[in-house]
Amino acid sequence: MTADAVLFWILAAITLAAALTVVLVTNPVYSALSLVMTMVGISALFVTLNAYFIAGVQLIVYAGAVMVLFVMVLMLFDLKHELQAFTQGKVSGAIKIGVVGMLSGLIVGAILMSSGTSTVPAVAAEGDQTKALGKILFSQYLFGFEALGVLLLVVAVGAVALSRSKGGTHAKH
Amino acid sequence: MPSIDFVTQVGLTHYLVLSALIFSVGVAGVLLRKNAIVLLMSVELMLNSVNLTFVAFSKYSGKLEGNIMVFFVMTIAAAEAAVGLALVVSIFKRFKEVNIRFFEHLKG
Amino acid sequence: MSHEILLSILILSPFVGFLINGFRYKKHSGNLAGGIASGAVFISFICAVILVADLVGMPAESRKIAVTFFDWIAVANLSVKAGFVVDQISGIMILIITGVGTLIHLFSISYMHHDKGVAKYFSYLNLFLFNMLLLVLGENLLIMFVGWEGVGLCSYLLIGFWFSDKEKAAAGMKAFITNRIGDAAFLLGMFVLFLTFGTLSFSELVSMAPSVPELGWAGPLTLATLFLFVGATGKSAQIPLYVWLPDAMAGPTPVSALIHAATMVTAGVYMIVRLNPLFLAAPNTLMIVASVGALTAVMAASIGLVQNDIKKVLAYSTVSQLGYMFLACGVGAFGAAMFHLMTHAFFKALMFLGSGSVIHSMHEEQDIRKMGGLRKYMPITHFTFVLGWLAIIGMPPFAGFFSKDEILWMAFHSPLGHTGLWVCGALGATLTAFYMTRLMALTFWGKSRVDHKIHPHESPALMTGPLIVLGVLSVIGGWYGIPHVIGQYVGHLPNLLEGWLEPVIRAVPNLAHADESTEWAFMGISVALAGISASVAYHLYVRSPETPKVMAKKMSVAHDILLNKYYVDEFYFGSIINPLVSVSKNIWYYIDVNFIDKTTYLITDLVKGAGLFAKSLQNGNIQQYAMYIAIGVVASLTFILMR
Repeated sequence: MTADAVLFWILAAITLAAALTVVLVTNPVYSALSLVMTMVGISALFVTLNAYFIAGVQLIVYAGAVMVLFVMVLMLFDLKHELQAFTQGKVSGAIKIGVVGMLSGLIVGAILMSSGTSTVPAVAAEGDQTKALGKILFSQYLFGFEALGVLLLVVAVGAVALSRSKGGTHAKH
Repeated sequence: MPSIDFVTQVGLTHYLVLSALIFSVGVAGVLLRKNAIVLLMSVELMLNSVNLTFVAFSKYSGKLEGNIMVFFVMTIAAAEAAVGLALVVSIFKRFKEVNIRFFEHLKG
Repeated sequence: MSHEILLSILILSPFVGFLINGFRYKKHSGNLAGGIASGAVFISFICAVILVADLVGMPAESRKIAVTFFDWIAVANLSVKAGFVVDQISGIMILIITGVGTLIHLFSISYMHHDKGVAKYFSYLNLFLFNMLLLVLGENLLIMFVGWEGVGLCSYLLIGFWFSDKEKAAAGMKAFITNRIGDAAFLLGMFVLFLTFGTLSFSELVSMAPSVPELGWAGPLTLATLFLFVGATGKSAQIPLYVWLPDAMAGPTPVSALIHAATMVTAGVYMIVRLNPLFLAAPNTLMIVASVGALTAVMAASIGLVQNDIKKVLAYSTVSQLGYMFLACGVGAFGAAMFHLMTHAFFKALMFLGSGSVIHSMHEEQDIRKMGGLRKYMPITHFTFVLGWLAIIGMPPFAGFFSKDEILWMAFHSPLGHTGLWVCGALGATLTAFYMTRLMALTFWGKSRVDHKIHPHESPALMTGPLIVLGVLSVIGGWYGIPHVIGQYVGHLPNLLEGWLEPVIRAVPNLAHADESTEWAFMGISVALAGISASVAYHLYVRSPETPKVMAKKMSVAHDILLNKYYVDEFYFGSIINPLVSVSKNIWYYIDVNFIDKTTYLITDLVKGAGLFAKSLQNGNIQQYAMYIAIGVVASLTFILMR
C-alpha cells in the first residue's frame, strides 16, 4: 500500500463523513462548519490529484469567501435551534430517501460497470501545471473568463438589490 | 468483492465513486432539509463533488480543460450562493424564518 | 330565354325574396315587405306562364322541359341529379302555386299590415313557395322530399306564427309531428322503390312500372305505394293523420288559404298523380286510397256540419275535398284528381280569403254564431263567396261541378270503383252542400247577430281584388275540363284537360264505354242532391233559425259526437300519445338517469380526479419539484443502463 492510497482513503473518509454531517446535523452552524471541513477535504483531494492551483482557489473561494458568506447570514438570523430540520411526510420522505439511494447506487454501479476495478494509469503532468493553466485560461478561454467577470458584477448588484428590498413575495408597503 | 488491489491501487474509479457518494449526500440534503441555508449548502456539496470529478478526469486524461471547467464552476457557484442567500434574506425579512416552504408562495 | 334560366328564376325568385325579407325580419313596414315578397312571386308567375306557354307550343308527345343543373348525390349505385322538369302535371301545379300564391301575397299585404312580424311573415311565405316549387318541379323523389320537408317546416312556422299564444304554438307542433309520421312512411316508400328499381327518378320509375298489375299485399310495389300513400295522408290530411289540419287554422288566414287549402295539402295528390303508373300497377293500394279518400270525404263533411268557427268549417271542408281527390286517384281517375285539385285551389283559396276578409272586418271574430247579415256590409266579399259556395257544392256551370262530377262518375264507372264509393261521394257532396249553405246563411244571410261594438265594413281593394280574380276563376276554372257528354251539345267543346294530361297519365285498364244516359243520370242525381240539401239548409238556417237548435237538442248524442269530431283527438291522446309519454318518462327515470347519466358522471369524475391529481403534483413545494427531477434522473439513468 502506497502513501498515496493511505492518504486517499483517509481524506475520502473525512470528506464523506463531513458531507454527511452537513446534511444530518440539525444545527445550521454545525452544518456550516462541516461544510468547511468538506471543502478542505476536497481541496486536499485536489492536491493528491496534482491540481495545486485549483486546490488553492478552492480553499480561498469556498472555504474562505463562500463559507464566510454563509456563516454571516446565519449569524445575522441568529438561528441556533431548529425544531424541524427535516421535511415532514412519511411517504414523501421514504420516496426521497429511496430516490437518493437508487441514484447513488445507479451512479456507482455505472462507474464500476464501465471501468471495473481496473485503474487507469495517470498521465504524468508535464512541467508546471499552474503556468499551463494560466496560459490556456488567458488565451483559449479568455472570453469565458471575461464573461464570468461580468456575471459576478451582475450578481453582486442583484444580490444587493434583493437584500435591500423589503422582502416577501407580496411586498406592497 | 473488492480485491486487495482495489484498496491499494487508487485510481480514477475511486475518485469517481467518492464524488458520486458526496453528490448523493448533497441530493439528500436538498430533498430533505427544510432550512433554506442548509439547502444551499447541500447544493454547494453537489457542485464540489462534480468539481472533484472534473479534476480527477483532468488528471487521468492529461488535459487541463478539466481544471478550467472547475475554475468556472467555482465562480458560478459563488455567484449562485450570493443570489441564493440574498433570496433567503428576503424571505427572512418577510416571514422571520428561513424555511423552504415559504418559497411555496412563489407559485402565485 | 333558355329554359335553364327561366326555371332557375322561377325557383330562386321566392328564395331571394325569402332572403331579403329574412334579413330585414325586424322591420315593421308591411307594404315594403309585402311588395318585395309579392314581386318575387309575381316574377315566378311570369316565368311559369312563359314555361307553360312554351310547353303548349311543343308537340303533344314530347311535351317536357327537363333541366339538369348538376349531379347532387352520386354514391355507389345511387345517383341523384339536381334535375327539374316541367311537364303537363307540374305545369298546372306551378301555375296554381305561383298564380294563387301571388293573389294571396297581395291579399296578405293588406291583411297583415298591422302585424309586428310582417317581414318575417312574408319571408316564411316566400320560403314556402320556394319549397313548394322544389316539390312539384323536382325530377326525382329525393328533391320532392326536400320540398316536402321544406313545406312542412314552413307550415309549422306559419301555423305557429303567433307563437306567443300557447294554443297556436301547440297547433304548429301538432301539425309538424303528425306530418313527421307521414314523412317517415314516405321515406320508407322511397327506400322500397330504390331497392326495387334502383332509381328515384320519376321518368325512370314511370318507364319501369310494370304494365301487369301486382296482386297480393306484400309485393314491393304495393308496399312502396302504400308507404307513399301514408306519407300523403300526413301531408294531405287524410284519415288517420288528418287531425292537424283543423288545428292548423291557428295560423294567419292567408296562410290557411295558401298552404292549407290551395297548395301544400295537395302535395300528396300531386305525388300520387306523378307516380300514377306505379299506383295503377298496385290495385290493392288503389283500393285503400279510394276507401280512405271516400271515408275522409264523408267524415270530415259530417264534422263540418256542426262547427261554429268559420275557418274550422272551411278546414273540414278542405279535408273532405282532399278526400275526393284521393277517391279520384283511388279509382284511377288521376286526371279528375288533378282537375279537382285545380278547381279546389281556386274556390277554396277564394273562400279562405273571403273568410279572412270577414274576420278582418269583424275584428278577429271567427265564431259564425256571432255573425249574420253581413251581406249588406260586405257586398264584394259576399258576392265572391257566393261564387265559391256555388262552386264547392257543385252547381253547374261552376268549376266544382265539373271536377266533382267527374270524380263521382268515375267512382261508379271505373272498373276500380265501386257503388259504395259512389254512395260515400254522393253523401259527402250532400253534406258539403248542407254545411256550406249553413256557413253562408249564418255568416252573410239572415238577421245580424253582430256585437254592437263591432261595425263590419268592406275590406280594402287589395283584399277584394284577389277575391274577385279568384271568384272569376272559380266560375270559369272548370270550363276546360268539360266532359264529352256535355261538350258535344255545347258547340263540341273538347275536354282540354283530358287531352292535355293524356300523355303522362296511364289510362285505367278495361274502362268500358259508358252509356250516355247513365252519365247524365248520375250528373242529375248529384246536382239534385246538392240542390235539395242546400235548400233544406237555407230553409233551416235563414227562414227558421230556431229549428236547428231544437234538432241539435233532440239528437244531442249525434250532435255531441260531431261537435267533438268523433273524439278522434281524445282517442289519439288516450291510445298513442299518453302511453308514449309515460313510456318515455319511465325510460327517462330508469334508463337515462341510472345508466346514461351515471356513465357521463363517471367520466366527469375520472377527468376531475385526474385533474385534481395533476394539480396536487404542482403544489408549489420546491423540494417536491426537486424530487420529481431526481425521480426523472433515476428513471432515465435506469433506462440508459438497462438498455
